[in-house]
Amino acid sequence: MDPKDQNQIQLKKGVLELCVLAVLSRGESYAYDIAARLAEAIDMGEGTIYPLMRRMQNDGLVETYLAESSSGPPRKYYRLTAAGRAAYAAQKDSYLRFARAVDIILQETAA
Amino acid sequence: MSDRERFLSKLRAGLKGLPPSTVNDIIGDYTAHFTEAVAHGRSEAEVAAKLGDPTRIARELRAEAGLKRWEQERSAAAALGAIVAVLGLATIDLFILLPLLVAVGAVLFALLVTAVSMCLAGVLLLVFALFHALPGFTGSWLQRILLALGITAGSASAMACCVLFLIGMVNLLARYGRLHIRAAAPMVPAGEKGLMA
Repeated sequence: MDPKDQNQIQLKKGVLELCVLAVLSRGESYAYDIAARLAEAIDMGEGTIYPLMRRMQNDGLVETYLAESSSGPPRKYYRLTAAGRAAYAAQKDSYLRFARAVDIILQETAA
Repeated sequence: MSDRERFLSKLRAGLKGLPPSTVNDIIGDYTAHFTEAVAHGRSEAEVAAKLGDPTRIARELRAEAGLKRWEQERSAAAALGAIVAVLGLATIDLFILLPLLVAVGAVLFALLVTAVSMCLAGVLLLVFALFHALPGFTGSWLQRILLALGITAGSASAMACCVLFLIGMVNLLARYGRLHIRAAAPMVPAGEKGLMA
C-alpha cells in the first residue's frame, strides 16, 4: 500500500471520532446520514462508520433509539450522551490547539 | 444471489465466534445501510464496493472485540484471545513480526517454567531443611532455612516479572493491532489486493 495513503488513513482515523461527535452535537442522526456526510466531506470509507459507532456506543459516548422513518423500517438513531458531549468539548479543544501549532510550524518553515 | 446478500453472508460467516446478539446487531446495521442507500437511488453493487471487503470488516470487528475483552479482563483466556485477534488481522508486516514474537514467547515460557519449578523446589527444600540436614551443605539450621527461603522468594519474583513482562507484551501487541484496524477502507482493485493483505 502507498505510504501516502497509509498516512492519510491514520490521520483520518484520528479525527473521525471527533467528526462524528461534531455531527451529533448539532443534532441526532442515523448512521447512513452520518456516513454520507463524512464520506463526502473527508472522503472516508462509508463502512468505517459502523465499527466506529459500535466502539463509541461501548465507550458510552453515544446512545441509540429506534424512530419511525417515512420510508421503510424504523431507523436506528444516535445521540450524544453527557459523556459524549464532554468528550466532544475535550477532543475539539485539543484538536484545535494541535492544528494551530502545526499551522504555525508549517508557516514558519514555508517562509 | 444479490450483491447485498453476498456481502451480508460473507460478513456473517466472518463474524462466527462472536455472541449471536452482537452478530445480529452488526448485520442489522449493514442491512439498514443497503436499504438506505437503495432508497437514495444507489445500486447494491456500488454500495457493496464502497463498503469494502466484508471478510476484512469481519476480521477487524472481531479483533476489536478481542482487544476490548483484554482491556476489560486481564485473564489468560482474554490474553490469548487478543493475540489470536491481532494475528487474525493477518497484515503483511505481522509475518515479519511473527518469528520475533514466537522467539520472545518461547524464551518467556522457558523462563516461566524454570521459575515455577525453582519456586516449587525452594518450598520442598524449605520443608526438608526444617527437619533434616541438607546433603552436602555444612551450614547451621538457620543458614539452611535462609537458603531455602532465598531460593523460593527469588524464583517467585522471577515468576512475577515474567507475568508482568507478558502482560506488557500483549498490551504492545494490542496497540499494534489497533493501529492496523482500518475499519474497511473502500475495496481496492483486484490487482493491488495482494499488497494490502
